[in-house]
Amino acid sequence: MSDDGRPRTGDRRQGGWTGLGVAGGLALACALLPLAGTRDLITAVFFTFLFLVLALNFDILGGFMGYMNLGQGAYFGLAAYLAALLLNSGRLNRLGAADRPAAVAVAVAITTAVAFGFAYPLFRLSGAYFAMATFGVVLLIRHLILNFPDVTGGSYGVYVNPRHYLGLYPAYYLGLGLLCASAALTLAIARSKIGLAFNAVRESEPTAAAIGIDLFRAKRLALVLGAAPSALAGAIFALQAGYIDVDAALGVDKTLLPVIMALLGGSGLVAGPLLGGAIMRAIDILLKNYLRLAFPALVIYGAILMGIGLLMPQGILNFFGDRRRT
Amino acid sequence: MQTALDLALGGISLGGIYALTAFALSMALATTHVLNVAHGNFIVFGAALATFLLNVLKLGGTATAAAVVVCFAAAGLLFERAFVRPLLGKTPGQILIGSILITFGFAVASEALLGYTWARRVDPQPSFSLTFPLARLTVGGAVLSGTRLFVLLATTALIAALHLFLTRTALGKAIRAMAQNYEAAVILGMNPRRISATVYLIGITATAAAGVLLALASPLDPYEGTRLTLVALTVIIIGGVGSLPGALIGGAVLGVAEVLTSFYAGGVWGPVVYLVVFFAVLLVRPQGLMGGRAG
Amino acid sequence: MLEVAGLDVAYGGLHVLWNVSFSVGRGELVALVGPNGAGKSTTLRAIFGLVPVRAGAVTLQGVPLLPEPPYTRIRHGLSLVPEGRRFFPQMSVEENLELGCFALGARDGLRRELDRVYAVFPPLADRRRQAAGTLSGGQQQMLAIGMGLISHPLLLALDEPSLGLAPMVVDHLYEVVAGLKREGIAVLLVEQQIYAALDLADRAYILETGRIRREGPGRALLADPYIRSTYLGLTPAPPPG
Repeated sequence: MSDDGRPRTGDRRQGGWTGLGVAGGLALACALLPLAGTRDLITAVFFTFLFLVLALNFDILGGFMGYMNLGQGAYFGLAAYLAALLLNSGRLNRLGAADRPAAVAVAVAITTAVAFGFAYPLFRLSGAYFAMATFGVVLLIRHLILNFPDVTGGSYGVYVNPRHYLGLYPAYYLGLGLLCASAALTLAIARSKIGLAFNAVRESEPTAAAIGIDLFRAKRLALVLGAAPSALAGAIFALQAGYIDVDAALGVDKTLLPVIMALLGGSGLVAGPLLGGAIMRAIDILLKNYLRLAFPALVIYGAILMGIGLLMPQGILNFFGDRRRT
Repeated sequence: MQTALDLALGGISLGGIYALTAFALSMALATTHVLNVAHGNFIVFGAALATFLLNVLKLGGTATAAAVVVCFAAAGLLFERAFVRPLLGKTPGQILIGSILITFGFAVASEALLGYTWARRVDPQPSFSLTFPLARLTVGGAVLSGTRLFVLLATTALIAALHLFLTRTALGKAIRAMAQNYEAAVILGMNPRRISATVYLIGITATAAAGVLLALASPLDPYEGTRLTLVALTVIIIGGVGSLPGALIGGAVLGVAEVLTSFYAGGVWGPVVYLVVFFAVLLVRPQGLMGGRAG
Repeated sequence: MLEVAGLDVAYGGLHVLWNVSFSVGRGELVALVGPNGAGKSTTLRAIFGLVPVRAGAVTLQGVPLLPEPPYTRIRHGLSLVPEGRRFFPQMSVEENLELGCFALGARDGLRRELDRVYAVFPPLADRRRQAAGTLSGGQQQMLAIGMGLISHPLLLALDEPSLGLAPMVVDHLYEVVAGLKREGIAVLLVEQQIYAALDLADRAYILETGRIRREGPGRALLADPYIRSTYLGLTPAPPPG
């Protein structure tokens, strides 16, 4: 643990051969799952992929750079809406079979551009102010969607035209592919100069600036790198679900759960969000299917987040990692 | 002329509520360095309790007011003891992560619990709203909303009381001192735990009171908490941390902007305007309109 | 009166002080000097509980201080004027001084105490309603010392009071510090300006990279050849006579 309690990513070489071996094995197992599993299980695992992508993306800005983005769901939801609306508008029909990929690509491009634009006001702040401001991005997008019902369907949501549906199996493999790509991206960042620059910004901004790192460009890059894959996840989600509304696309769970996953497992490590994600999804499945909980899962999740904050803010992997070293 | 008066009164009374809750948040922020994401939730809780006591249990106005004060004074102390105290004295990085995790988690959990319980026990469409007995007043030829006047007077009284406490009492001066220089305050014998507890006691109670007043003006739902925290934060960004005049000006700006926007652009746009102001101020003048950098 | 024994301080992964021991007697002026980064400020901060202490004890008149939280130091009679002139910038000079008496509760003699401080630092009297943040560096230091003195401490610890100040101002400050002896207030002076500090001090300790290297009466250390060559850039003092 560094002096201020935040994890030290630079100390550990990530992605050693054992780690990659384990990851490869898991990926293989996931790839084979649809042969054996029920539809429910496959759907559950598919959603897990999406949440894991969000968690990994959260951690790029959150773990490597120390800027907590409480609005990760904004990119997910915005892209979901854009993809659905684009397809429904019929503008892409002349592309024939390529209309879905095109819609997804455009949705991701626009969302990434929006993230790029929001970097300007957002990074005037830091710390908890920044975190609240990112939450404001979600609120703003929600308001815009709700206030233009003619375009967006308002509170009624959007039905994706059935011929644009993404079947469960294609969506599943797309999700798995996206997750592997996201993990690879995060690993690549961790081991590259970019990751080092991010860590430098987290440790001490004045020092980072003094050694020549352009602070704003680094922060903006971290934000965009975290927004693009999340947007892709959102677009895939919209096409698979067939129906989205502001709560499904931009609900607080799309932000809360990735934050819990990243922090529970260990912020600043690639394996951290993955571990935390697995644990959280297991809890979620347990709650919904076996415990038949009457009151909303959000109460439990909120409590879990509080527990992490009070007891183990550095997360499981960092907690045990530090124990091993001292 | 009448409309102008209505708009002005509406804007200023709303602004007073925003100023009060922003200042409470600001003081807590300046003395403990913890940003309470759940701050706005206490506005909702205050409105909820008052609605429950007044509309469901049919208690009188004074009994309700007293109950709200007692309940939230206790809540403020408990909240501070459980969630803020463990963070005091830690490094800024640890405080940041810890405070966001704990208070954001609390915000989500508590509002979900409130929404669920209220929907099951009281009303499937939770909505917290109060009505003031005196609907209209005629003052010198102009018809004014009695509710808005009451809200304005109440917030003025509360803010004035707060100001007197901070400037005339030893504890109040200690709070201001600690907000300006934590270490110097400790060296001179001010107990950070006692100050933290006092700040939250007063701050949470004031915020819940603001919630009661807000419910007089418009209905609230259980999930508006985090949005209201952001409104308070917008006021702080406009007016600067720890500044009462700044909070008043910021509150007035937001209140008037919201009322005018609702009037001219329609009710759905009123609640959005603070976000526009928030991002606009960040882009144009991040040090706030009054100076005093946030973040 | 103040006994520091075996102080060991480490934070993060860094061990900063090793077995630091010294004492300050009643009414004594003791200097703690050494180069930049030696750990002088850390020592003061450790005494006041502002940094975690790994081992060691600090007692004032036999009462152990380390187990107690930092805000109680002043009640025991220990006052600190920290590095960098700490005070409350948006409050007036007079409010700042009043806060210096905070730990003593309501005092009837507050007016008298304020006048005492104003007598020592006349520029503060002229600016008593001014916001403290608008004072000049030297005036701010006067204010900080005034805030430390107004509570009649048993011991006043000063952390690099001359930092960033003009020589004339520093001279005036040192006159004030010397005057404290006459009032029976013990002083623990941490300084980088070694010559002035050693000249003034009854006794002094040299701290280098976290350890006490030398101790002795101030004047004696001034004549010490090691000190003279390492810190003062001087040749050994000529023999008396």
